[in-house]
Amino acid sequence: MSSKQEGTAEAKGESMQMDHTLRMLDERTLEVNLPNIIGYERIAMDCSASFARIIGFTKDRIEDLKTAVSEACLNAMEHGNKGRTDARVMLMMTFDDNSFNITISDEGEGIVELPEDPDIEKKIEQLQTPRGLGIFLIKKLVDHVEFNKDEGQGHVLRMVLRMTY
Amino acid sequence: MRMPSAGSMRIAVRNDLSIPTTNSTKQVSDMAQQNEIKLSEKDGVTIMEIQGDITVFSEPFLKEAYQSANDLNAVNVMLVFDSSAYINSGGIAILIQLLAEARKRKQQVGITGLSEHFKKIFNMVGITRFARIYQTLEEGLNGLSPP
Repeated sequence: MSSKQEGTAEAKGESMQMDHTLRMLDERTLEVNLPNIIGYERIAMDCSASFARIIGFTKDRIEDLKTAVSEACLNAMEHGNKGRTDARVMLMMTFDDNSFNITISDEGEGIVELPEDPDIEKKIEQLQTPRGLGIFLIKKLVDHVEFNKDEGQGHVLRMVLRMTY
Repeated sequence: MRMPSAGSMRIAVRNDLSIPTTNSTKQVSDMAQQNEIKLSEKDGVTIMEIQGDITVFSEPFLKEAYQSANDLNAVNVMLVFDSSAYINSGGIAILIQLLAEARKRKQQVGITGLSEHFKKIFNMVGITRFARIYQTLEEGLNGLSPP
């Protein structure tokens, strides 16, 4: 089963790859291929939520999943693909043995050094950028996360959420 | 000076592709986001009712509304969110900037309307150390009203 949606908008002077594709590779594996456009992370959020709901994840856990997927996609779009509108973000979602496994791939160089956990005091005192919360949230919300350079194919973030009852 | 209790002010500015992000990632025009923010005052508390999602694209709306509140000498501020809103780290960063400004002005900030999930997220990030979350607007007004 697959579906393809195509948009028509085009940024000035740039070729925007607007189409996104969803493919169910088998009954436990869903592939989502997104354009590098902020806002499209919601497609991945909704797909992951629908898949997790079918599997039987609790409502609370689905909310955790949606936020983790959203932040991973935003990181891939902004920091991995550096806003390039011709780049893509690819997600692979697989359910296996009570775990929901997700990989999010971009075309970037990957994370050289993971950012320190945010210090809200410093942020409020404007001694630290107010941004930089995405990876922190992912680490807090999922059971396992890893960041890997995918040789020749960019950067891959892999995260696992275990089912709770 | 208090804001007039009767009536309110609505701020809705159309967002478009000209809004920059940190590294020029674009948002498609037909997905352009806007927030409608209704300002009112009750019992000495300025209430900002925020409709819509809270993302990096909310920055001009929140800043304009907060500036309008300060132009009217807001003492304490209550942020009322839409419980179905999508909030991401970019939006939380905008709220942190607002809280930083409120601290400089010695304003107390309260928050209500959040879903249970985003109450948890705000607690994780530490926002609840600088803005108390209230279950209801009434509870927030009681907590924030000047004596």
